[in-house]
Amino acid sequence: MSARRGVGLSAFQNRSSLSTSYATHGASLRSTHLSSLQTQLSVFQSLLHNFALQHADTIISNPSFRAEFARMCNAIGVDPLAGSNVKGKGVGKGGIGSLWAKVLGGDVNDFYFELAVRVVEVCRGSRGENGGLLGVEECKEQVKKGKGIGGGMDVSDDDILRAVKSLNPLGSGFSIVTVGRKQMIRSIPKELNTDQSRVLEAIQVLGYVTASMLEDNLGWEHARAETVIEDLLADSLVWVDLQAPEKEYWSPTFMNDFED
Amino acid sequence: MAPQHSPPASAFTYPQSYSFPPFFTLQPNLQTRLSQLRKWSRLIQRYCRHEHIFKLSLVTALDTTLFKNASLRKRLSLNDALQVVDWMTRDEGGRRAEWIDGGVEANGGTVWVFWKRPEEWADVVASWVEETGQRNTVLTLYELMNGEMTVGQGMISREQRLDMSAHGMLDFHGMDAELFHRCLAVLVKRGKAQVFGSEDQQGVKFF
Repeated sequence: MSARRGVGLSAFQNRSSLSTSYATHGASLRSTHLSSLQTQLSVFQSLLHNFALQHADTIISNPSFRAEFARMCNAIGVDPLAGSNVKGKGVGKGGIGSLWAKVLGGDVNDFYFELAVRVVEVCRGSRGENGGLLGVEECKEQVKKGKGIGGGMDVSDDDILRAVKSLNPLGSGFSIVTVGRKQMIRSIPKELNTDQSRVLEAIQVLGYVTASMLEDNLGWEHARAETVIEDLLADSLVWVDLQAPEKEYWSPTFMNDFED
Repeated sequence: MAPQHSPPASAFTYPQSYSFPPFFTLQPNLQTRLSQLRKWSRLIQRYCRHEHIFKLSLVTALDTTLFKNASLRKRLSLNDALQVVDWMTRDEGGRRAEWIDGGVEANGGTVWVFWKRPEEWADVVASWVEETGQRNTVLTLYELMNGEMTVGQGMISREQRLDMSAHGMLDFHGMDAELFHRCLAVLVKRGKAQVFGSEDQQGVKFF
């Protein structure tokens, strides 16, 4: 015991050699860990890749399966669309592209780009009637109907959200906003103020609003209600019905038949 | 104005906007109004095609389901309807309508609704001539418009016919006489037909 502890000058030498050996041991442990983790990761990646290849058809054709798969990717920290803006042709086969493309092959990646194009089409096509604010669900319906090139696509809300997200690198001004309980795609980069959002929420609940409904329910003064409504009208976010006892304001979201 | 032969058995399906109350009020916002005008134009054309209407009298039509949604208790006002149709007559509206006799004010606003423009009808007639081998034969106008031979138009297969009627390509049978003349005039201009004879007994030869 006492020999190991050492006394006098030799104790210093002992102590320093001890700490170096701890350090080397630690380093070797870390590197084993690292290499085993790396192996695990690469095994996992190849498994994911195989899985995606094996089930590519299902991933593309079945919206709920796709959503689950995307959720799984998210859970393990794989952002399917990261780096998607540098995608080129044939990237799926080993080039520099998004993780989706590298890990999963081009198909799934392309799916979202194609969908994003549709979403943009639908948003642009309906801008005149809804002021650039379109419900995710309505957008989905339109994409499903697929009046554009190549027919309809079977998609879920989740896909739409993902597709909109994939547009981010373009700085396109497409974003998802939540109004009341509805998620909506905003295709014109303009913020809604609180009053405007509250009116749109009220329309979601009640179907339509009138100035006096706003006054009664939100306790607003007449001028305030009028101003907010005028703003919404000016932005094409609501339509007015003059054939009612009091002017009624409706959200074009519920019409949803552009391209009919 | 009135349907000139029995309308197809299938009921007309209205677009969803037809159930949207503000659709029956022309919107003050110009951008919104433009998309609304497009919707109305499409609706009117589809409706007229379905009912086989060529000339539409707005005053009369205001009381039909085209402009009036009874269950919503909404209707397009005469003034708004005039604006819609006037937009349709202009270039921006694709000239899908044309005022008859004195335009907006006269005649209770009677208007051609071109769910097919005369040139498009000319194409239909031309391809019918082609398909049924009527080139270089002389046909009377009466035959063409009312005769058996143009019912379903010639010897095309049932599938083709269904397909064509789905695209609204059939049925110049029972077409308005005046419009048919205009359509023939287009063919004459293209050198594809020659019209001769007097008022009642006109004939036409296709080349």
